[in-house]
Amino acid sequence: MRDRATLSRRALIGGAGAALALAAGHGGAAPLAKVKALGTLRVVVYQDNRPWSWAEGGKIVGLDADLAQAIAAKLGVRADVAQLVADESVDDDLRNGVWKGGLLGFMPGDLMLHVPFDRSFAARNDQVAIVAPYYRESFALAGVGGAVALEGMPTEWRGHKLAAELDSIPDFYLIGSFGGILAKDVVHYPTGSAAVAAVTAGQADAVLASRAQIEHGLYRAGAGRVTLRKGPLPAFTSPGWDIGMAVKENSRTLGDAVEEIVTAMAASGEMKALFARHGVDWTPANAAG
Amino acid sequence: MKGPIMRALSGVAAITLAMGAAPLVAQGGPTDADLMNDAKSTGDVLTYGMGPQAHRFSSLNAINSGNVAKMVPAFSASLGGEKQRGQEAQPIVYDGTIYVTGSYSRLFAFDARTGEEKWQYDARLPDGIMPCCDVVNRGAAIYGDKIIFATLDARLVALNRNTGKVIWNKQIADYKEGYSATAAPLIVNGMVITGNSGGEFGVVGAVDARDVNTGELIWHRPVIEGHMGTLKGKDNGITGKLNATWQGDLWKSGGGATWLGGTYDPDTNLLFFGTGNPAPWNSHLRPGDNLYTASTLAIDPATGVIKWHYQTTPHDGWDFDGVNEFIPFDATINGKPMKLGAKADRNGYFFVLDRTNGKFIGAHKFVMQTTWANGFNKNGKPNYIVEGRPPAPGDAKGKPVFASPSFLGGKNWMPMAYSQDTGLFYIPSNDWGMDIWNEPIAYKKGAAYLGAGFTIKSIADDHIGALRAMDPKTGKIMWEYKNKAPLWGGVLTTGGNLVFTGTPEGFLKAFDAKTGQELWKFQTGSGVVGSPVTWEQDGEQYVAVMSGWGGAVPLWGGEVAKSFKDINQGGALWVFKLPK
Repeated sequence: MRDRATLSRRALIGGAGAALALAAGHGGAAPLAKVKALGTLRVVVYQDNRPWSWAEGGKIVGLDADLAQAIAAKLGVRADVAQLVADESVDDDLRNGVWKGGLLGFMPGDLMLHVPFDRSFAARNDQVAIVAPYYRESFALAGVGGAVALEGMPTEWRGHKLAAELDSIPDFYLIGSFGGILAKDVVHYPTGSAAVAAVTAGQADAVLASRAQIEHGLYRAGAGRVTLRKGPLPAFTSPGWDIGMAVKENSRTLGDAVEEIVTAMAASGEMKALFARHGVDWTPANAAG
Repeated sequence: MKGPIMRALSGVAAITLAMGAAPLVAQGGPTDADLMNDAKSTGDVLTYGMGPQAHRFSSLNAINSGNVAKMVPAFSASLGGEKQRGQEAQPIVYDGTIYVTGSYSRLFAFDARTGEEKWQYDARLPDGIMPCCDVVNRGAAIYGDKIIFATLDARLVALNRNTGKVIWNKQIADYKEGYSATAAPLIVNGMVITGNSGGEFGVVGAVDARDVNTGELIWHRPVIEGHMGTLKGKDNGITGKLNATWQGDLWKSGGGATWLGGTYDPDTNLLFFGTGNPAPWNSHLRPGDNLYTASTLAIDPATGVIKWHYQTTPHDGWDFDGVNEFIPFDATINGKPMKLGAKADRNGYFFVLDRTNGKFIGAHKFVMQTTWANGFNKNGKPNYIVEGRPPAPGDAKGKPVFASPSFLGGKNWMPMAYSQDTGLFYIPSNDWGMDIWNEPIAYKKGAAYLGAGFTIKSIADDHIGALRAMDPKTGKIMWEYKNKAPLWGGVLTTGGNLVFTGTPEGFLKAFDAKTGQELWKFQTGSGVVGSPVTWEQDGEQYVAVMSGWGGAVPLWGGEVAKSFKDINQGGALWVFKLPK
């Protein structure tokens, strides 16, 4: 994960890449010079992805929406933030959102946020360069203190309503682990944020979701009784993952500029403040450095 | 009722037609009785399947095994534009007009004599829809003054068949929740009956009946146990028994999409709908049979109540949708005349059931290999092969399990045909398997999840596709035609001892129905994945098919993609006849 040069394939691009970028011409994602000339940076974020990006009051809001605005401002251009409906995998999303466009006419962006920054994932998606890791995501457990033995063994949660996003890693963990002893206690929600909301609204006792979803949900609800488990979950296999951004393979100049901006925001404390506005405790990506 | 007004509007067209050839055409357009009689009326094609039982059989024999070699194109009509994706439609022919649906939810009316376009309707699709398996549509339904089709954003649109103007347009499900619609609607007793389609999870399969004149919902029948059905706005009993075959609350998002539509049997007054695979995908997380996924359901058309069910893949773990068409037919088994029905399933078995009660009669393998089960026992349950089931998430990391058929199935959406002359079913099938493994690292919507990896693999050197003639009484394959690329189009059989089907290589082909000998082929310029039809017009027999490569195969191809990588896209209606 440290070999960022390999991950973003700087070595491969060299002079040929620069020529390619100049020849990219009209349409498609634009490299830096073209973005500046047009005065607009088209940034793709996920639709309905709290706390990162969602529509509220006719606007696209959230961590990624704020980050898109900040990056565009630092490039001296306007942000055109577009919402992408998630397909079956992020590989498909990169095709729809960055390098090709959607089957029904979705125009690819210059930059897409919330893209996993992971070597083997990047290797199989060679139409894009994945840059600027900006957050370390991981799963966490939260519940109503006193009602659930938050720090105990999962088998102690039997008989309590356990909220999870359908078909997610938390879902598989709760349903499948410990001989399936908790399977009947799991209550499914369409998103991790909805699962968190079920706990803050008193409809479920505990939730296993991403830490950002939990922290944001508790912040919004002001629910003081709900707390996070401190210790690791036994036999939980996901160590977390880094989140970065993607540009088209031939938009290297833009990728480099965005990476510089993100690095500077991390160093100055601006990133931490941006996340804090949404109640999320910013954690730098493992790969950032 | 719009009857009198529409009769006045369609007057001119009706007169033109009367001067033509089809004597059976009523002025107001096809009635319920006309639709039920479609298998016998040779001057038109009014229903998807060429009759509510979907035999795809015409008694016409002017074109036959003796002269089909001379068949030539009468005309071709392009769907135009840049929207050239898979063309999976079956044409509807009525009143001197051929109606076809095209990729991206378009409907075209062409002059049946000249091929000139009369009108075209393009659905305005939102860009937030995410169809899983190409932007296809499988055909329209006709009734009175209306031509009706479903759109990718899960709406049902009724157009005036003479003008293409919208009569009604109803949402049948919410595309924002992942629902879509691609199947041809079925019309029975003045009701439009549809299934639903959608992504792999969060979606619950259902069958709906609507008033054909208004689009208003009459009944709604979810196909997963625990969900409440409705009739005329009131609760009408839950499907199955809550938590009988599902654990916890997984039934709420159990899958079972009815994405291929259904058939109707006037003889028993039953609708037959197939249901899709259960969710979540990995079977280890949902112990139980998971009813009524991967099943055929018999439904009362008046109330939407399920009369019987038969599950073709209990506790599916291979993505073996059970959506395939169930075709009613009569035959004598062990000296006893019986009302039967047959279904060639994704799982590689051809099922014969008693259609009056769903009782299992037999299951016959129609593909080269089934690694998931070794036949079915007398009670109609599969003899599972334990090591053929993909592992639980987290188990056997990286080690693939080989499964055959692949998730695209021994037979996918493409409809088979049944000849009343030969007593054989003609099954468009594919011989292919897949490696499945647990993905150690997969991402969905920017987040880590437990994915599964798939690669589709060939299992024979010389073919993937195989058109097979199946004797439903014995389970014997009487003949087969092998095709290099996967077959993805429907089949037609006729009283002229012929079987027609298309190939991805671009040919429409004709075979001897008794021997399988290839008698004729024509290159249409792009892959054929539509369903051919035939009718009589001005004293001549015509054959029509859509050309236009696409559908799910090129999206999922894997290593088998080399059998079709050079096929170009297109979008055209081709019409053939014998030279005069």
